[in-house]
Amino acid sequence: MTTRAVSRRAALRRIGAGAGALTLLPFLSDEGLAAFVHIQGTKAAPSLKVLSPSQYATLEALVEAIIPADERSPGAREARVADYFDLVLSEAQPSLKEEWLAGLAAFDAEATRRFGKPFLRLDAGQVEALLTDVSRFEAVKTKPEETAREVTRYDQPTQKPVLVEGLLGDVSRFDPDRPRPPLEAFFATTKRATIHGYYTSEIGIHKELRYKGNQILAEFQGCLTQDGKDCPHCGQKA
Amino acid sequence: MPADPTLDVDLAAVTDESRKLSASIQPRSGPWDVIVVGSGAAGGMTAFQLAMAGIKVLMLEAGRMIDHRKEYRTMEWPYQSPRRFRMPPDHRPIAVAEYNFLDRPYGNNPAYDKYKKVTSYAGNTFTRNWVVNEKEHPTTGTQYSWVRARVLGGKTNFWGRGALRYGPLQFKAASHDGYDVDWPISYEDVSPYYDKVDVLLGCSGTKEGLMQVPDGIFQRPVKLNCVEVHFKRAIAKMGRHYIPGRAGVTTDGLLNSKYRARCMGRGRCGRGCDIGAAFHSPTALVYPARDSGNLTIRPYSVVSEVLLDAGTGRAAGVRVIDANTREVMDFKAKVVVLGAGTLDSTRILLNSKSARHPAGLGNSSGLLGCYLSEHLMGPRGSGFIPVRIGTEPTLDDGRPVGPYIPRFRNVTDKHPDFIRGYHFQGGGGAYEYPGMAHDLPGFGKAFKSSVRKYYPAMISIGGFGEVLPRKENRVSLDAVVKDAWGIPVLRFDFRFGDNDLKMAKDMADSAEEMLKAAGAEAIKIERDPLPEGWSIHEIGTARMGDDPKTSVTDKFCRLHDVSNVYLADAAPFVSGGTQNTTWSILAMCWRTMDHLKERMRVGDV
Ligand SMILES: Cc1cc2nc3c(=O)[nH]c(=O)nc-3n(C[C@H](O)[C@H](O)[C@H](O)COP(=O)(O)OP(=O)(O)OC[C@H]3O[C@@H](n4cnc5c(N)ncnc54)[C@H](O)[C@@H]3O)c2cc1C
Ligand code: SF4
Repeated sequence: MTTRAVSRRAALRRIGAGAGALTLLPFLSDEGLAAFVHIQGTKAAPSLKVLSPSQYATLEALVEAIIPADERSPGAREARVADYFDLVLSEAQPSLKEEWLAGLAAFDAEATRRFGKPFLRLDAGQVEALLTDVSRFEAVKTKPEETAREVTRYDQPTQKPVLVEGLLGDVSRFDPDRPRPPLEAFFATTKRATIHGYYTSEIGIHKELRYKGNQILAEFQGCLTQDGKDCPHCGQKA
Repeated sequence: MPADPTLDVDLAAVTDESRKLSASIQPRSGPWDVIVVGSGAAGGMTAFQLAMAGIKVLMLEAGRMIDHRKEYRTMEWPYQSPRRFRMPPDHRPIAVAEYNFLDRPYGNNPAYDKYKKVTSYAGNTFTRNWVVNEKEHPTTGTQYSWVRARVLGGKTNFWGRGALRYGPLQFKAASHDGYDVDWPISYEDVSPYYDKVDVLLGCSGTKEGLMQVPDGIFQRPVKLNCVEVHFKRAIAKMGRHYIPGRAGVTTDGLLNSKYRARCMGRGRCGRGCDIGAAFHSPTALVYPARDSGNLTIRPYSVVSEVLLDAGTGRAAGVRVIDANTREVMDFKAKVVVLGAGTLDSTRILLNSKSARHPAGLGNSSGLLGCYLSEHLMGPRGSGFIPVRIGTEPTLDDGRPVGPYIPRFRNVTDKHPDFIRGYHFQGGGGAYEYPGMAHDLPGFGKAFKSSVRKYYPAMISIGGFGEVLPRKENRVSLDAVVKDAWGIPVLRFDFRFGDNDLKMAKDMADSAEEMLKAAGAEAIKIERDPLPEGWSIHEIGTARMGDDPKTSVTDKFCRLHDVSNVYLADAAPFVSGGTQNTTWSILAMCWRTMDHLKERMRVGDV
């Protein structure tokens, strides 16, 4: 670690120079962390709101297939992404929820059609084959080459009002996907939410990404070339 | 599912305090010398300058007080919430595409009936208690993503901290390219005030000697991370600068404030900085002003109009609608300063109609509401910088702002397609959430390892382009629609013009050009402008000038028509350059208050 992290206590002391400073610092206390909600990390059984146990099991297998455990870190299953989905679905608009549950059923039906068994019981090769097919659209450029396009804004034909509803609510950016076949749409939505659930989990942030920020720093260091050194992180010369 | 502690910010104490405060302050509780409307950058600086000079000030703020200890949730992790920073299910921000296509008022859409609160796009789990409900605060006319925050401190509670000065190129833009008019003042008039703001509030940056964005009195700069250093070196060969962002943050600490500590590099400032390193009006200006004993703050006070003394022709005070009780009351003072945020200040003036001022106060020129300008955003580019692809992530985001590319168009050269210019903001490296994962194809171990491979290498820059001030870009009062307090709402007539859109095209092209020069992989260019208003840098609508026929205020931001009404926000600004506005609001406001203090000292008001 090259970053100079300061301990919480040291930071408090440092800031404590100003009168009343301590009371300004609730989030440096352990208060927030004490209230930490154990959605992942605990091995507790799920308490499902929307998904049936078999839907939950299928989903766990699916999210794990999208982001699996590997030598570096556990995957989406251990990060309890399926539990996160269950919560997202429980708060989604009814139509979206139904749409997604129908997608899950269709996905399972596709597994049965192709391999004669539900998704949960597919072997690794079969999962690979199925997901390769439903994700093939990702490799295809959906938009034409845009570089030469002029910006036209007010002379576009007026479009029908749209309402952008996504399973993820405020965290999802506008979904530019063109309308796609149900299985592709289901995969796209599920992948997006899996990414969100996984990389916002403790496992995703700390074990997988090894994200180093959100700590109290004496000083942000950045690229060492700025201190006249060759930088060990990027190999750039001073 | 256990309760979600992050969705339950307990606001009972602060709302209770706010109610008690507003109930205790009545028109007869005065007298006050000056009324200031609003408590953001403009209202905060007004109150600070006057109260510190021994002048009795009444601050009328439409929102409640803020409990910054609880509400600035700076270091929260997403996994502390099972909802992972999503809003509660009955809250909904407007999505970018919806701005373009939904009818106004946005909050009226039947599909939104099921939500209790519909916010502008800036509503998120950290800001949702501050950003207004579009259902209570409608707008009409052309599309405009108007972000408003009604709470002590206004939008400064979650602003982006980019603290930039206008320079000669902005104040004398017309002399430079012949379009429109110059400001009636010059950089020399304002630069001493920028200096004072830098010293009082703390500003971090590097001296670069660039006339398009003048240097200030800087505290220690924030550094660049590895991908940014690579990018800087690459575009330096094109003669372009990539400099540490200038931040309205104290990086060395301030001797003058017990509310503010120096920056500790957590990088979560947009949620409110709980140690007060970032400038937020409450901790930086309002509380110190209150400590002087000269400032009375009345929350929940929605100002509907400025009252006129028919005898003297001067303002007598303002009319207030209590946001809770709906009680209407008139507060009196010798001077009224409007700092409700550019467009809300103009709205109050438009709504202040009398026999003498039938089109609104200060509107004898007919120009009140005209020349609305802001910055065009949207064109942007991103990619991966090879020197960091496949490396272990470093701590790349522990700082209050990312780097900055100052304007390079039409500074010394002349672009054939458009006048004025744009700057870029943005940086790279390993941020907490790997947003780029959404753009990577595939699944399984290959996908997972590609996320981690590209994670430290990401770079992304977005443009801010000067929208030309044009008379026809304007706001007026809607004849029919009213807000939840019965006050007519603003109707927008605002469109990007030809020059703006040509510039937008060049923004995207030059983003691409620079990313290519840096050897970035998987370059992604977005070319479309974001909806109007997106920059949250509204300026104009009560422009300053020497001639009362062609301007609304004089060069001290005082209405030509009424000598004791001042504007403290960006409404008097003539043009907006490429620079984010807040540091200029603060400097201009200080200058205006020096003028007012002098007038009060000599007994002129
Ligand atoms: C997400 C975000 C990022 C931003 N990033 C930057 C940046 O990087 N750099 C920069 O320079 N700027 C930035 N800004 C803009 C910056 O926040 C504003 O320029 C600044 O807050 C304007 O200050 P103000 O006092 O004019 O208005 P506000 O801060 O909006 O304050 C106005 C106050 O007036 C009150 N008010 C309104 N109407 C009434 C009424 N009728 N009666 C009584 N009170 C009323 C409101 O409640 C509010 O408290 C950003 C804004 C946002 C939201
Ligand atoms: S990076 Fe600095 S300014 Fe931003 S939240 Fe952290 S301490 Fe405050």
